Amino acid sequence: MSTINFANREINFKIVYYGPGLSGKTTNLRWVYQQVPQDRKGDMVSLATEDERTLFFDFLPVDLGEVKGFKTRFHLYTVPGQVFYNASRKLILRGVDGIVFVADSASNRLRANAESMRNLRENLAEYGLSLEQVPLVIQINKRDLPDALDVEMIRAVIDPEGRFPVFEGVATVGKGVFEPLKEVSRQVLSRLVESV
Amino acid sequence: MIEPTIALYGDAFVKTATVLEDLVEKAQVRYVLLVDRKGFVLAHKEALWAPRPPALDSIATLVAGNAAATQALAELLGEPKFNELVKQGEKQGLYVEEINDLTLLVIVFDNSTPVGRVKLYGKKAAAALDEITRNAVVMPRELGIDKDFHKSAGDMLDDLFGN
Repeated sequence: MSTINFANREINFKIVYYGPGLSGKTTNLRWVYQQVPQDRKGDMVSLATEDERTLFFDFLPVDLGEVKGFKTRFHLYTVPGQVFYNASRKLILRGVDGIVFVADSASNRLRANAESMRNLRENLAEYGLSLEQVPLVIQINKRDLPDALDVEMIRAVIDPEGRFPVFEGVATVGKGVFEPLKEVSRQVLSRLVESV
Repeated sequence: MIEPTIALYGDAFVKTATVLEDLVEKAQVRYVLLVDRKGFVLAHKEALWAPRPPALDSIATLVAGNAAATQALAELLGEPKFNELVKQGEKQGLYVEEINDLTLLVIVFDNSTPVGRVKLYGKKAAAALDEITRNAVVMPRELGIDKDFHKSAGDMLDDLFGN
């Protein structure tokens, strides 16, 4: 649930990029960091290993601006995708308002995508939440790979019922990076309006 | 909804500000922050003599992450919780006191200030903030957050992230 600071007239939302290891979560965040104007973003914090794999999380605060007197901010996080960092992943999900699930198009990552979605479902359940209760969008990343799987094939393993919006992306060049972020932000804002 | 929101405003915010100001003065520390477990800053104060603080968002996020990891470690070791966290560098130190299930108190101090003093006043402040923040766990109605808010925010999303 969002944090509202009435004294400073601020509303803060937490959006988490989730997905299997090396699917491009940090690359998404770096692109957002590069493109958002200086006065609309804070410092990007990355807790990574020496070979640039996310160890705990990446963090980027983005200012949407003032909406009806409230300074509205999105705190963007990534989780470590590697399977053995699940304890860290679970911690980052605390207080999440929205999720961008970053799937990998590589043919040998189909199972990893499915396992990551299952892991997300399990970790949310530990906070008493289901996938239906948190705004979620899917970005199918790395569409430029020569062996990229068909979108429908990937969707069939992570969202067989077709419940969530899907965007195709190539995060390394910024393609399809802002669209899923904007969509999940819209959903998060809708939830806030519904909840008050 | 995962957990309740702390809405510090009006009397609760004034009381919080007073506690934090008092803490800065009596403990003789640089910066104090009240942050929630999700890593958001709820309130902060700084000493008049202190240089401009680093990014408060980053401090809050890292402290909340650290506290969450510490709590997970405590559980692994069979402890209900580890109460406090002290980090000391060459010139500055960082002290984190768990206020309650929702909030943390963060104190940044110079090493010329004894840690004992920081802890003493930190714990007193945490006790006072515990009551204030527990009473602030409310979602007040009529915030002006309505359909217009959503429309305005949507337009700003287009502006920031493109159409």
